[in-house]
Amino acid sequence: MSEATESPEVDEGWEADDDASGDDAEGADSESTEAKGEGAEAAGGGGRKRRKRRAKRDEEYYPEDDERALKALEFLQRVVSEMQMDCQVHLRRPKDEDSELEINLEITGPDSGRIIGKKGQVLGALQFLTNRVVNRPGLEKRHILVDAEGYRSRRDDSLATMARRLGKQAVTDGKIITFEPMNPRDRRVVHLALAKFDGVVTKSDGEGDDRRVQIIPVRR
Amino acid sequence: MLKELITTIAEALVDDPDQVEVTEVEGNHHGAVIELRVAKNDIGKVIGKDGRTAQSMRVILAAACTKVGRRAHLDIVD
Repeated sequence: MSEATESPEVDEGWEADDDASGDDAEGADSESTEAKGEGAEAAGGGGRKRRKRRAKRDEEYYPEDDERALKALEFLQRVVSEMQMDCQVHLRRPKDEDSELEINLEITGPDSGRIIGKKGQVLGALQFLTNRVVNRPGLEKRHILVDAEGYRSRRDDSLATMARRLGKQAVTDGKIITFEPMNPRDRRVVHLALAKFDGVVTKSDGEGDDRRVQIIPVRR
Repeated sequence: MLKELITTIAEALVDDPDQVEVTEVEGNHHGAVIELRVAKNDIGKVIGKDGRTAQSMRVILAAACTKVGRRAHLDIVD
């Protein structure tokens, strides 16, 4: 029965991230990652939305009247099956009430490691193409999110944890900390993680692919 | 099968799916060459800004190839 270990090689990466973040709260059973994620969120103050999402996560979600969400689902299902991947695609309820325009898709199954790809490359490509297919010219833009086995949400969690750690450091050292260039999505995660963090403000600086988040300590 | 994958994606991207034509040519040691042809007006849709759409199709094709143990290259013919 070595089958279970074969799937997402990427899993190791996540675990390493989680360990490095050092906020190992509770004991280690299958629930512990979940607990850790929530603990980290709560510590930053933005925990409520996150918890709500987790609760809703496993409910069946099939918005019959949302033509474009169904189109996204159908497209992704066909592509994944033609890639010969042993995976299922589901629609997920959008995270918060204010993001009704979001279409969340999640891929699960033994081949999700391949679906994620190196550094989430394949996942990114699937998301990009789904976006192109759903957001035809002349239609209201819908935000498309494609995740696999929680890869993105875990990455977001560890990025948020890192942001808070650096936030603390910025306060202690009284110096501005500048991140490496990141995509808009990742920058948003950092901004949100530090939005309610005392003693610092965040802003983005630079253009295009060179845009970086800065953590700036403020005097109280 | 790799051909069907590219056909599915291309047909979903373009305005004129009837004009999507995909052929698989047995290439050299680099594996198969998948040739994609679309209506003239749709070329931009399968290439995308800065070639991002084409790049995404290639990433997905490569992932499918590793799964089935093959090699293939996507060629957009105009």
